[in-house]
Amino acid sequence: MATYILRKILYTVVVLIGVVAVTFFIRPPGDPTRVLLGQRADEASVAAMREQLGLDRPLYEQMAIYMKNLLQGDLGTSIATQRSVSETIIERIPATALLALTSIAIATVLGILLGVIAAWRPNTWIDTLTMSTSLLGISLPAFVVGLLFVLVFGVALEWFPNSGYIDRGIEHLVLPMITLAIRPLSIIARVTRSSMLDVLGQDYVRTARAKGLSDVRVFLHHALRNALNPVITTVSAWFAGLLAGTYFIEFIFNWPGIGLAAFNAIEKLDYPMIQGTVLFTAVIFVVVNTLADVIYGLVDPKVRFS
Amino acid sequence: MNMNHVESPRTLAWRRLKKNRGAVIGMIVLAIMIVMAVCAPLVTPFDPSTQILEYSVKPAMFRGSVLYKKNPVDPTRPSIIAVSTFEQRGDSVYYRDPAGEPYVISTSQLMSTDVREYHGEPLFLLGTDRFGRDIYTRLIYGMRVSLSVGLISESIALAIGILLGALAGYFRGWVDDGIMWFVNVVWSFPTILLVVAFSVILGKGYWQTFVAIGISSWVDIARIVRGQFFSIREQEYVEATRALGFGHVRTIFRHMLPNASGPIIVLATAGFATAIIAEASLSFIGLGVQPPTPSWGQMIKDGYGYIALGTNWGMTLFPSIAMAIAVLVLNVFGDGLRDALDPKTSQR
Repeated sequence: MATYILRKILYTVVVLIGVVAVTFFIRPPGDPTRVLLGQRADEASVAAMREQLGLDRPLYEQMAIYMKNLLQGDLGTSIATQRSVSETIIERIPATALLALTSIAIATVLGILLGVIAAWRPNTWIDTLTMSTSLLGISLPAFVVGLLFVLVFGVALEWFPNSGYIDRGIEHLVLPMITLAIRPLSIIARVTRSSMLDVLGQDYVRTARAKGLSDVRVFLHHALRNALNPVITTVSAWFAGLLAGTYFIEFIFNWPGIGLAAFNAIEKLDYPMIQGTVLFTAVIFVVVNTLADVIYGLVDPKVRFS
Repeated sequence: MNMNHVESPRTLAWRRLKKNRGAVIGMIVLAIMIVMAVCAPLVTPFDPSTQILEYSVKPAMFRGSVLYKKNPVDPTRPSIIAVSTFEQRGDSVYYRDPAGEPYVISTSQLMSTDVREYHGEPLFLLGTDRFGRDIYTRLIYGMRVSLSVGLISESIALAIGILLGALAGYFRGWVDDGIMWFVNVVWSFPTILLVVAFSVILGKGYWQTFVAIGISSWVDIARIVRGQFFSIREQEYVEATRALGFGHVRTIFRHMLPNASGPIIVLATAGFATAIIAEASLSFIGLGVQPPTPSWGQMIKDGYGYIALGTNWGMTLFPSIAMAIAVLVLNVFGDGLRDALDPKTSQR
């Protein structure tokens, strides 16, 4: 068991080294200082900025410095705000975490519920309605859903505020949270349905039914528990997509999280900030997936020895 | 009819696909979209960059009175002058613009000397944007961008994904280890973030966008191809190619790849839809295809400012609907394709 976990962790570190290397190369084409200062900037200020960003050194040296700083938790300094990238990210974690965690919670609960309902009466109108709605949810990119929600619930119906953070009231969380949840919710509903239908066809479910157990009992105790495995995989895999989704959602709803910082940085080509936020998201993703792998290994010995 | 006639798997799949109502509708809508995108100049009343500033931000079904002026650049697409009233006296046309300012123009500068041909009240089916450009026209031209992104980016992704997946699955050992490390590194970045990152590296623009999306979207394909090759590798016919002394390249591309094509096609369809979303997302954040080339993401962002005001929501809504339809149609078609190619799942 210990070797399994150790192996997983070692491999994760090897992957993370690659992730850092990729992140290092995220910078505007050509001479970044020219992009940042404009083509007409004088030589002196260009040279000064090159030195400040360390661009006057050879590439391998820059990379070594980047990695060394990274190990000390230093992600560099934002060009636009002149503040530490790590500090900016850390102070924005709560906002993004709140949004992401509440969204994935809602998506998981509602998604499983809808999937079970659809599987309960397959090929009836309930099933068709749920599945076609979820297909729409998968087909619409998050930022479009967000804009439509702003339009309908924010502007037309005025049910919820369409911008701002929860320091101005918990109702500010509603629209961004639901918007972010739509896509994973749709996918979880579809996965749950097909997994449930698989399980419901198994012999032990037929046995449970033959014993005269009620529908509810068969569904919740016998079928759902066994149908949840692929669902858990989906949820953990979707957590990363969700984090990326926050970039757009936070911009649309003016939610002061990491995504909004990244968004502003992209507009200004503030590449240390872009590198920092992208790296942060990737690291979270890798860590979450490794944790999921380890948990699988603990729960299911088959995984451990494959 | 030959009694020994055996239908090929492809014929069977095609027959199953034809029975799937959703997939057939999807296919038809997709075909219509492709035809409209290819024939964009024929099915749109304006040039996508024609600006009629006097008629900016108009609602759907708006009709505006205009004079058609000769366009030295493109004789088939006249320049357009918005007018409130006009009157022809001899060889000159006296007109007032919508603000009431009087002007005069010679008929020789107009498309024709005949009033029925130089004046018109064209319909702006979906209204106009803030530069007075026809939204319907830009939607159709934007579809060109979206569909080309899907096609070209997905081709790039397929090329990389198939090559790396095939190499990993065929040779295994350290080749597999190396490629899988790379796959896992790339897989650590959510696709859309990777696309954004590559767009920052490559810069803004048409081709840069295609490449950025293409080189970000091959991971799933590589994984599937590798998995397929793992199992195909053990089949007798692959052993036979070895016994016959075929080279690796021939074995991989002529004998193994065709047998892995089903899942690849299904993934490619899904990837096509993802590429469209990725392009729109990029344009939405200001990277990606640059103005004046119309793109759905850009149009959505242009309209975004008006949403908060509660007016002219059509500027955002129409491109959103267009994108939703495109992606929905591709997803439905992809689902049908998966059921058709893999009959085991179609009972669900």
